[in-house]
Amino acid sequence: MAAIRIENLTKTYYSGWSGKETTAVRALNVEVKEGEIFGFLGPNGAGKTTTIHILLNLIRPTGGAAYLFDCPVTESAVHRRLGYLPETVNLHDYYRGRALLDFYAALAGLSPESRPARVTQLLKLLKLEDAADKVVSRYSKGMAQRIGFAQALLNDPDLLILDEPTSSLDPVGRKEFRDILLELKRRGKTVFISSHILSEVETICDRVAILQTGELRRAGTLSELSAGRSTLITVKSLPANVLNALTPTAIQLTLVQGQATIRCPDETLRQFVESLLQQNGVEIVRTEAESQSLEEIFFSSIDTPSQP
Amino acid sequence: MKTTLLIAVDSIRALLHQRLLLGLMLASLALTVVFSMLLSNARQNISRNFSDDQPSSNYFTVTNRMSAAEQRRFRESMDEASSMMQAGFYQVASFGGSLVALFIFSTAVASEMRKGTIRLTLSKPVSRSQFLMGKYLGGVAVMAGYALIAGIAIYLFAHTQKVELSPAIKWGPWLMFCRQLMLGSLAMLLSLFFHPMIAALLAFFAGNGFYASPNPLYFILPSYQDFNVFFQVIQGSLIGARDVLFLSVYAVDFVAIMLLLALWRFRRKELV
Repeated sequence: MAAIRIENLTKTYYSGWSGKETTAVRALNVEVKEGEIFGFLGPNGAGKTTTIHILLNLIRPTGGAAYLFDCPVTESAVHRRLGYLPETVNLHDYYRGRALLDFYAALAGLSPESRPARVTQLLKLLKLEDAADKVVSRYSKGMAQRIGFAQALLNDPDLLILDEPTSSLDPVGRKEFRDILLELKRRGKTVFISSHILSEVETICDRVAILQTGELRRAGTLSELSAGRSTLITVKSLPANVLNALTPTAIQLTLVQGQATIRCPDETLRQFVESLLQQNGVEIVRTEAESQSLEEIFFSSIDTPSQP
Repeated sequence: MKTTLLIAVDSIRALLHQRLLLGLMLASLALTVVFSMLLSNARQNISRNFSDDQPSSNYFTVTNRMSAAEQRRFRESMDEASSMMQAGFYQVASFGGSLVALFIFSTAVASEMRKGTIRLTLSKPVSRSQFLMGKYLGGVAVMAGYALIAGIAIYLFAHTQKVELSPAIKWGPWLMFCRQLMLGSLAMLLSLFFHPMIAALLAFFAGNGFYASPNPLYFILPSYQDFNVFFQVIQGSLIGARDVLFLSVYAVDFVAIMLLLALWRFRRKELV
């Protein structure tokens, strides 16, 4: 069973008297398996938060459907298995920290007997013990983010949906946050995380999806996304006729310590280079798929505005 | 039901932390007190006018020294003043309560959407119906508190001023409460379509103009005026229990229809 299944999801907004059309999400298909940490990436306006709002049934899709654990997102009962942390944590600021968590725990269906212990446990985990009896309106942004994360964990959810979760945290907070997510993964929980911090996603995510202008550009594991893209072929020496044949193509050549490395950006060019080398009797030292960082994958997947 | 009650209790908490609402309630109570004091002064003036020639202004000593005709005129003037006092008290409390109700119910959902707190609440296993009903019940509880305070104040006022309560005023707080719940349910429904301020204005004026029963709008728009006991209090006329029952059933029906429409709309509404 998939934790999240998004099928042909489309969301179009109509604004103004003229009914100006803006498509925030366009025919999106994503599946998140149970037990994985899934990164949902994209530049601002890519449709990440819109998709999350549809998953939470806060807005309705114009087309397609979304399911959480095979239940339509419109069924509120499925939220018993869900934890959610929004990008901007807006809390009922008239509560004190502990009372706020108790309120959310009651809403999440925790029994009155189990609530105090669970609340204390999370206050300790998120290092909010000292602020537990402080009015929430006096919390700093980082503290609000922490208590927001605590409320998302109250019901020990099977699926955690996090929208830019570490935007207000300092590096120490981010590290603690990452450790908690990895611990949740170890316990078989699913995490769906939308983030701009690519290095963070890279270290914890099993799979990622990259969106731009509401469309899915790429999805898969990091190795899948970097595989089949560029191949590096290293040879001992490169005869002049081979060099001349390669020059007009899109390959890149690097000469290091007498060895030449040919970077083939796609499969067709790789086949062309390999046959050319074979025909000319050039010895291939090694062939390897070039590994890419998530940042490289990200930027190669989206259209960046051209420089003036 | 438990979830609805949790939302309702949270809603009461939120309302009690709203400075504007507390200000409105205090202003309404202060206006009521000021109005009552003015009328109390008027009553004392009447007493003084009758006792100008008498050495003492004590009610019993004044009346004992008057002729029968003067005594009758004095009593009529005092009754008229006390009826005016009660009617005025009721009118100010009722108007203030209406403002409070409009404020509470028209902003109940809109303020949660504006602040963004609705996102966390609805990420829990809370249905939209439970949320809306909880918000309405929270408002009902606050309005019940307001009606109770107004009722106690009327009785205390009558007791301290040694005024006999008009028969109609006894139903005043209850009918005021019913009227405010009607206003509130309509304001809440309209706030799901319009800005809360516009919703509150529309809700207030919708029921103040189309009262005659042959007019088909009578059956569609609320008839707040039927719940106003101002003239009955002034005239000292009686409101039958049957009339009160009829009005209560009307209010329940009206609120139920408005809430059903509100639920229908809220289930389809985009919440961010």
